[in-house]
Amino acid sequence: MKPDLTIDIAGVRFKNPILTASGTCGYGEELADVFTLNILGGIVTKSITIHPREGHPPPRTAETDSGMLNAIGLANVGVDRFIEEKLKYLEKFNIIVVVNVAGAKKQEYIEICGRLADCPRADMVELNFSCPNVESGMEIARSASLAEETVREIKKVFPRPVIAKLSPNVSDISEIARGCESGGADCLSLINTLVGMAVDIETRRPRLSNNTGGLSGPAIKPVALALVHEVYNSVKIPIIGIGGIMNHRDAVEFFLCGASAVQVGTALFIEPDAPVKIIKGLENYLLKSKIGSIKELIGKVRIYS
Amino acid sequence: MNKIVVENSSIIKSVNLGNGIFFFEMGPFSRVRFIKPGQFVHILIPGCNVFFRRAFSVYETDIKAGTLGILFKTFGRGTAAMADMKKGDQLNIMGPLGTGFKLPSKHETLILAAGGLGMPPIYALAKELMQNGYRKEKIFFFYGATSRSDLADTKRIKRLGVRLYLSTDDGSAGFKGLISEAIKSKLPNIDGHRRVYACGPEGMLKAIDKLAGELQMPGQLSLEAPMPCGIGVCLGCIRPLTRGGYTRVCREGPVYNIGEVIL
Repeated sequence: MKPDLTIDIAGVRFKNPILTASGTCGYGEELADVFTLNILGGIVTKSITIHPREGHPPPRTAETDSGMLNAIGLANVGVDRFIEEKLKYLEKFNIIVVVNVAGAKKQEYIEICGRLADCPRADMVELNFSCPNVESGMEIARSASLAEETVREIKKVFPRPVIAKLSPNVSDISEIARGCESGGADCLSLINTLVGMAVDIETRRPRLSNNTGGLSGPAIKPVALALVHEVYNSVKIPIIGIGGIMNHRDAVEFFLCGASAVQVGTALFIEPDAPVKIIKGLENYLLKSKIGSIKELIGKVRIYS
Repeated sequence: MNKIVVENSSIIKSVNLGNGIFFFEMGPFSRVRFIKPGQFVHILIPGCNVFFRRAFSVYETDIKAGTLGILFKTFGRGTAAMADMKKGDQLNIMGPLGTGFKLPSKHETLILAAGGLGMPPIYALAKELMQNGYRKEKIFFFYGATSRSDLADTKRIKRLGVRLYLSTDDGSAGFKGLISEAIKSKLPNIDGHRRVYACGPEGMLKAIDKLAGELQMPGQLSLEAPMPCGIGVCLGCIRPLTRGGYTRVCREGPVYNIGEVIL
């Protein structure tokens, strides 16, 4: 029998636990040239801001050992064009659409989520509290009380589930996680990128125009797993794991550490069809291990006591 | 049908052309017949210490055999790893990617400018033009490099039968000086409605862009940029546009009209 890959998060049914991560799949159009988006559990859009943003000048990305640095600077079409064009495009697919929202201050998040409230195709919003490449986002990311307050106000204007995306660049991630939970977040996603830097020793220039950027890829997977496991033990709401997932084995590690679903990000830059392979790999893993449902894996890491 | 495919392939032929320059013929690749001159493929080298794919303009295609050829010079970690690869070694090809050149009308006189390792897409264009019945008398192929040893694979271009004008910065072969200077020196012989196509280093493209602007000569440039994803999702390979904003070299490019991009 085919194993059950479906997962429910805050009343939303995903046909499988594989989503594409914000900032690595645009608004879906490009990936649709490679595979049919309908195979995905869901897509998380590029961060949307109130006004369009061009982002940082080049260079914006740098290859590192087992990963990459990026400082794109939240380049996006802005909420108006997003709703008119991009969300409309995504309407034709049978996948969960999670709209990632970023703002310079609390009021901007509330305004964008208010606009998205009237768009039923925005199944969920994910609050980007943690983009390391713009100054303001980190303020909310680092303050449990500010995060709590922001989530609470967004819950008043957005009628569907709200995901808070957490930054690893904080001293106590569980404190922030509990703040978001108290504010009424339906789900947490973690981790965003780790702040990093690379320097060209000939020119003595940083490899990114923003000087620093966000590190992603396999290099950050162990950090992400440790934080997912920590947060899993600190809150009751479901967790979506993110960080260096390249194949189904990586995904299984996240489920075992407590993730109910995962987002695939940087892997898309190397293998844009990675989600297709991961979903197939998960199915085979469950079959081989005689596990009926993916739900049976969540949080089942056998911790040494 | 998906426009872009990601396929396992292998090296069918590897030729060391000297001076760190290699020719690879790779296959099979199911989309060979859809590749247009100026388009590129994104290659993943398995089992080596490079994280991203590497982008290469398609140099040759053999539709019957289902193979494609690339030309590259060892430069960084990726190309160094590729130089060590042998016939039969596996690699993964994604493509075809990017926009190709827009073909000219048959009455135009064409200036094709290839600088160093920017030669492959210009050769691919010339080959396409010849196969489409453009007259070889109307195709002026300029191929420039730093030195003679960097003028790779000139035999292949000669086989097309186009007029070939070589130039080197040090004068070791052909015209001594920049390729833009070589073009200028030949301009009196190039009559008619001129159109230029160019690919090469940044400085050369800048000079060609300027020259074309001065002569009000239409044309296209093929740009190079480090490309993490190659399909337009990472937003890493952007360049500023003359009209403002940025363009993704991998998606809207790598081919742009004269004057379109700030060089």
